[in-house]
Amino acid sequence: MRSGYILSILFFFPLLVIQTTVIPLVEIEGVIPDLILIMLVYYAIRYGQIYGLILGFIYGFFLDLIAGSLLGSVMFTKTLAGFIGGYFSNENKREIYLSTYFFSLIVLLCATVDSFIFSFFSSIDLTRNIFISFFEQGVFPGLYTAVVSIVVVIFRPRRSIS
Amino acid sequence: MIRFIFKLWQNYKEYILLIVLLITSLIIISFNQNNAVKKVRAIAFGSFASVTTIISDIINVAKVKSENERLRQVNTELMLQVSRLREYGIVNEELKNLLSIKDSLDYPLIPASIVSKSLSKSQATITINAGKNKGVKPGMPIITDKGLVGVINSTSEDFAIARTLMNFDLKLTVKDERSRIDGILKWNGEDLVIVDVPKTYDVEPGDRIVTSDLSSIISIPVPVGVAAELTNVETGIFNQIKIKPFVDFTRVESVFVLAIVQSKQKNDLELNFFNQK
Repeated sequence: MRSGYILSILFFFPLLVIQTTVIPLVEIEGVIPDLILIMLVYYAIRYGQIYGLILGFIYGFFLDLIAGSLLGSVMFTKTLAGFIGGYFSNENKREIYLSTYFFSLIVLLCATVDSFIFSFFSSIDLTRNIFISFFEQGVFPGLYTAVVSIVVVIFRPRRSIS
Repeated sequence: MIRFIFKLWQNYKEYILLIVLLITSLIIISFNQNNAVKKVRAIAFGSFASVTTIISDIINVAKVKSENERLRQVNTELMLQVSRLREYGIVNEELKNLLSIKDSLDYPLIPASIVSKSLSKSQATITINAGKNKGVKPGMPIITDKGLVGVINSTSEDFAIARTLMNFDLKLTVKDERSRIDGILKWNGEDLVIVDVPKTYDVEPGDRIVTSDLSSIISIPVPVGVAAELTNVETGIFNQIKIKPFVDFTRVESVFVLAIVQSKQKNDLELNFFNQK
């Protein structure tokens, strides 16, 4: 488990490089999948809620520092996403969640909350319909991330990356 | 009491930790303008950008061939335009000499490549491989051959991070090139819009929008986009104009930093004017 802690931090930086260089090439209408969130949810389910929310806080801190967003905003949303992801860390169902399409559904939930709350930090516009904003700023980015997370379910190694 | 706290921690530690971390995040938001924080961020994104440079270089090499073909075509078109403009230039020069107008359209351009992009619906930023060493300063506009991309936000020695037009925190004074009407351009999270334009103002779909002379950030006319749609706000006296930007922010790779910063002399003069009142 201890090696899992280190790996979750070690994997973060190469993934962040891919997120900021390769992933923008596959954007759809300005929406890109969030690989960091997929990894966060994976580790949150694997190691539990406390681990998930602390990891979310750390990931958010690095993302804020490097990506130039409002310092603290991604920390907030990723902490929350890690907490929600960790909620599904049940000892009996962990493997089911990680190796079936349940994983993508959990990613959808976490990514939707993450994107929607992040939009509140930066582009809150009270004149716009909240439901439309929820779909545009929350559900669409969440769906795209969830679809990409299917790759994790399909190609997940039998011996987990811990 | 200690037992009670211990019991509370045992039963609700996830929630307690969640609240503590969320509050910490909110507290950190208030430190964004702190100089020490800005310095740490400059070092962090500078170090990270030096890594992403390698990857983006590899990606760019793959695109060089098609980009070259496109550039050759643009070059030919520009050559024709330049020869036409040269004619106008000669006439313009003669007229300026007659009227004794000083030429002020000479701005140095600093070439740069985008090494990483942070695209989100509301806070899109880009990192470029030109920093303090090349004379890049916060406030300088970033442009391409098509138009405005964004404005430099912070710099390190070799890199700079810029807010694109798709960033909620960037607001610019722009004008309609045809009717000369000014307005405030901003990103609303979904579209680029000019807000609070009186309904009686003459703006039509298809009008070219450029940065305004009134702008304290970019006071020379840089193309921004075209007016795409007039959103008729039912109540009130103001309209919103949706703008289609010239630059496709997701595809842009090579940019130029326009080496101008807002004039301190002009700002001081304007401040003095208001202070006298």
